[in-house]
Amino acid sequence: MRRLGMMKQSFRMSVENILGNRMRSFLTMLGIIIGVAAVISLMTIVTGVTDYMMSQFSSMGADSITVSVTGTVVKSGLTENDLADIEALDNVAGTSPSISVTTNVVRNGQVSDEVTVTGKSDMYFIHNDEITYGRGLYSTDMDGSVQVCVIDSACAQTFFLGEDPVGQQIQIGGVQFTVVGLCGADDSLLSSFTGGSGDDGVIYIPYKNALLLNGRNTITSLEVYVADTEQTDALVDELEQLLDNTFNNADNAYSVINMSSLTDMMNTMQTMMTSLLAGIASIALLVGGIGIMNMMLVSVTERTREIGLRKALGAEPSTIQIQFLMESVILSVLGGLIGIAVGELISYAAARMMGLDFALNVSAIALGFGFSLGVGVLFGWAPARNASRLNPIDALRSE
Amino acid sequence: MKLKMPFRREKPVYDPGATVYQSPTGQHEEILNMRGIVKEYPMGEEVSVVLKGIDLSVYRGEFLAVLGPSGSGKSTLMNIIGCLDTPTAGEYYLDHQHIAHQDEKTLAHIRSKEVGFIFQSFYLLQRQTARQNVELPLIYAGLPEKERKARSEEMLHMVGLEDKMDYYPNQLSGGQQQRVAIARAISTDPTILLADEPTGALDQKTGAQVMKIFQQLNSQGRTIIMITHDAHIAGYAKRIVRILDGNISEGEVADA
Repeated sequence: MRRLGMMKQSFRMSVENILGNRMRSFLTMLGIIIGVAAVISLMTIVTGVTDYMMSQFSSMGADSITVSVTGTVVKSGLTENDLADIEALDNVAGTSPSISVTTNVVRNGQVSDEVTVTGKSDMYFIHNDEITYGRGLYSTDMDGSVQVCVIDSACAQTFFLGEDPVGQQIQIGGVQFTVVGLCGADDSLLSSFTGGSGDDGVIYIPYKNALLLNGRNTITSLEVYVADTEQTDALVDELEQLLDNTFNNADNAYSVINMSSLTDMMNTMQTMMTSLLAGIASIALLVGGIGIMNMMLVSVTERTREIGLRKALGAEPSTIQIQFLMESVILSVLGGLIGIAVGELISYAAARMMGLDFALNVSAIALGFGFSLGVGVLFGWAPARNASRLNPIDALRSE
Repeated sequence: MKLKMPFRREKPVYDPGATVYQSPTGQHEEILNMRGIVKEYPMGEEVSVVLKGIDLSVYRGEFLAVLGPSGSGKSTLMNIIGCLDTPTAGEYYLDHQHIAHQDEKTLAHIRSKEVGFIFQSFYLLQRQTARQNVELPLIYAGLPEKERKARSEEMLHMVGLEDKMDYYPNQLSGGQQQRVAIARAISTDPTILLADEPTGALDQKTGAQVMKIFQQLNSQGRTIIMITHDAHIAGYAKRIVRILDGNISEGEVADA
């Protein structure tokens, strides 16, 4: 009862004092506001970006292994036979080469060299791109004798605006192809990492047709689809052994990138980034805390006489200490709450700008709140203790 | 949490209507007893002796003035009486309790229960209303909010400020502020009222008004100890002791 009454009184006094020195209180809080807003926004943004990248990677397939071949002087890439060898390995569900074709695309006299033409196998459409209309490439299209293609929506807009593209003809490198399907626009973050699509969209053709158009028979990029993802590491080992044999143990002839190892790497990076940011933010909070301590010390000095009076009227040292501690805690928690609001606003704006999903990061909010509370107690302690130790006689005499 | 009684039960209930103090233990209860109080302050190498063995007895219901010029040690004496300071040597009993080198917390409790302070420059909290200022010691005494409110209103009534309860100190005249301070001092029903130059910041007329309130409170049974350098003001008290150079001497009983 007694304590509660005093706490209420202390709370009211603290609020009155904070409001009585509005400008000073605000400037003091600013340190905490900036610190907490930095923690919240940086953490939310980093988490958002990595989550998004992760989802992109996993949509690309945790069940796929990417093989890039730089080749050697005597063997510049993989052949059909090598492909067959890889497909013969246990636990391989299929493969899809990725063959870039640099050529012009023409339809009805409209010419574009801004279209990305890529050769893929039927497996690619099983594991990746969603067909939104029509069909994907079938295994029966893979022997090189069928001229069919799948285009993305950007390409459809370029060449078939207002028309149904399926069944229409389009000329790629001088060869007529029939459009059989439409796939979703590949606007993923990853596609911008991997070079990106041309301005006028993407066309997928059977990889053998692509090899023919390129006039080469070697494959330099390949995706291997894993049947059982539990065994991915074993498969990577087997794959490396096979490729070592293929390239006669030459150094740097190829690289095998496993998606799960990539996600592991991403996770480690995220942890590192988060702790780095937490470190930076805690410096900001430390500075904010020193600001609070400074203001509280000034406040105690200013109110020496008031402290003396309160003591004369029967306030215990602990009561005085609680009153001043409460003031610094209210100040920093208030700053923390404003900081959380500002941080979330920044996160929301950043998410909107980068096209990411915005979600309230509860752990960041808890961290920001906890931090500001801790700063208030930690940096308010010493000034409050000073106040409680003032001698009432000296305090009353001070002017 | 241990619940503490805000006021001691055995203490007689304060009755503003009563003109004669009714003591359960007789008319002449000694509530303040000082024997050989010495206070020394270290001044560098030297030791400055401010109080040189003070003997003082105060009985319940007295109105005592401690008269002395500045530098006589009267402020130091007041600090010791008010339990703001403890003596270097000597025995001090306030309301039958031995006041020695207790810790700050215990002294705070004693002050809360036994002493009502009235200062020369009022010492009101400027951001609090008259009512809130009067409530302050009641908060430290642990009174619940409702009782605090009732009590502070009653006290402000008593000093004639019932229409100024929600005024802030800077909206009140000096005399009114001192009356708020008096209401604050008596709100906890302390054993002694301890006034330090209560009229020092007031003009003669308002000073006289404040002294009238003191006399009125005294006639209702309150024990008042007033520290002053002003012989005229001391004349309002029933008994005067003089302090000079750290020694105390009994003065004549003033005509009440």
